[in-house]
Amino acid sequence: MSFEIGIMTFGEVTRDPVGGRLPSPRQRVRETIEQAQLADQVGLDVFGVGEHHRSDFVGSAPTILLAAVAQATRSIRLTSSVTVLSSEDPVRVWEQFATLDLLSAGRAEIIAGRGSYTESFPLFGYDLADYADLFSEKLDLLLRIREQNPLTWSGRFRAPLTDADIAPRADGDSIPIWVGVGGSPASAISTGRLGLPMALALLFGPITSHEQTVQLYRASAEQAGHDPAMLPVSINAHGYVGRTSRHARDTMYPYFAQGMAENNHQRGAGVLIPRAAFEAQAGPRSGLLVGSTQEVVDKLLTYHELYGVTRAIIQMGFGGMPQKQHLDAIERLGTEVAPAVRREVELRSGRAA
Amino acid sequence: MSTVEAAPRPPAQQYRAALRVVVVNGSPHPKSKTMGLVDVVLDTLGTLVPATVHRIDVYRLGAGFTEATDRAEVTPEIEAELRAAEAADLLVAATPIYRGSYTGLFKHFFDLVDQYALANKPVLLAATGGSDHHALALEHALRPLFGFFQAMTIPVAIYASAGDFDGTTLLTPRVYGRIEMALADVADLLTRRATSPGGARHD
Repeated sequence: MSFEIGIMTFGEVTRDPVGGRLPSPRQRVRETIEQAQLADQVGLDVFGVGEHHRSDFVGSAPTILLAAVAQATRSIRLTSSVTVLSSEDPVRVWEQFATLDLLSAGRAEIIAGRGSYTESFPLFGYDLADYADLFSEKLDLLLRIREQNPLTWSGRFRAPLTDADIAPRADGDSIPIWVGVGGSPASAISTGRLGLPMALALLFGPITSHEQTVQLYRASAEQAGHDPAMLPVSINAHGYVGRTSRHARDTMYPYFAQGMAENNHQRGAGVLIPRAAFEAQAGPRSGLLVGSTQEVVDKLLTYHELYGVTRAIIQMGFGGMPQKQHLDAIERLGTEVAPAVRREVELRSGRAA
Repeated sequence: MSTVEAAPRPPAQQYRAALRVVVVNGSPHPKSKTMGLVDVVLDTLGTLVPATVHRIDVYRLGAGFTEATDRAEVTPEIEAELRAAEAADLLVAATPIYRGSYTGLFKHFFDLVDQYALANKPVLLAATGGSDHHALALEHALRPLFGFFQAMTIPVAIYASAGDFDGTTLLTPRVYGRIEMALADVADLLTRRATSPGGARHD
């Protein structure tokens, strides 16, 4: 497996903590397409849009943004990051992604997740008490829709399907469906049992913090009769590629700290991450993919060594980073980081073979 | 609920050789991770020693329980539940960790249990919580409670986090391993308690 590198965004509509500017939602959707376009031009492999149902993000309908991106790009793969499957109708999810797949000539992918935000549950009439059951039933239906058409299926959370014709079908053979896993052992085990690719999110902590998660994933896949060597794992993390080590940290910190404060509360209020804590998270033994080209290359290779990941999706604009800085980092990721990582991974796999 | 047979009040003769297990369940929820954890405990126990299980859901006992501030005030049904717990060969004390400790009605149940009724009685401590941060509540809150009763708490207490479950099904192998270890430590003792009727019981 060659190493794939991509970017993702939530489409933040938040005030720039440095420049004070608040982008309009219209501006943000245009900028999102521009980010994808540049990512495509500089040879990145994946572009992802996260699903959030709030005014401070423009990502409530990721497939619509991705459809616009499909028209503006040539070869980059297009994925949700993630689709909050628990509060969706899998029939509709399939229809939208299959349409996206046709529009993009086979570039659509789905990362199905439980979602780390809960706004979508009341919005679509689901009970958070059914959190686990909703996800497993809806994932089951989505996988069956992918597998066969017409389909007869019944479950607890939607009307049964009898010989239902669910169209369109994928542009090619199929649409990749990954499962987004935040690191709980149970999610890793159930994803492994299903033999599905795992998109692992690492926010904070030592870079080794998912060793057990990946181990459980591969062991349970093997137990269920899947070949773990055929199952890709990706790492999804925050980061920023700067001109230098210092430039990367100075650029990313104010936005990242702001984004975290707005989305992670203690005692009901956001707390700014101290710069020292951010610096610690940026070090070579922690998970953030921030630094100079060489630092990010090294850290991606560490992820590859530790977990056997063959894909990394980096979120570089979190906290409402202005477009200029975001685009600069996308360019460095595509033209400097990605070729170096791909080359090194290829050399290593050649050596191993 | 598990491979072992549920029997509200086992007839003495028929089940003489079986371990009388009573689960005191401190979860308010009908479907709970705490009972998902206990299911695995009981399944594992069932492979070691024949057992009958009686489960007391303290949040389902009703006003006859919640309104009683003293043992003398409980209704006959609640009295029977308290006696079942007091007469158990093995007590499984299982609760979610709320606000840093066992739940309120879990403690209320044990506030009504006779002071010496649990002396020298094997008690397995089990708890669930939102994250691993709460694991030592077993040692700092549950074990002292049964220390008061002079109960024989099993050395290994069982804890599982929300992330170890898919819904209420326990998935993490490490926790399964810990349950096996906890029960293996006392398998001989439990077998003796099951096969020696009257043993160290106080009923």
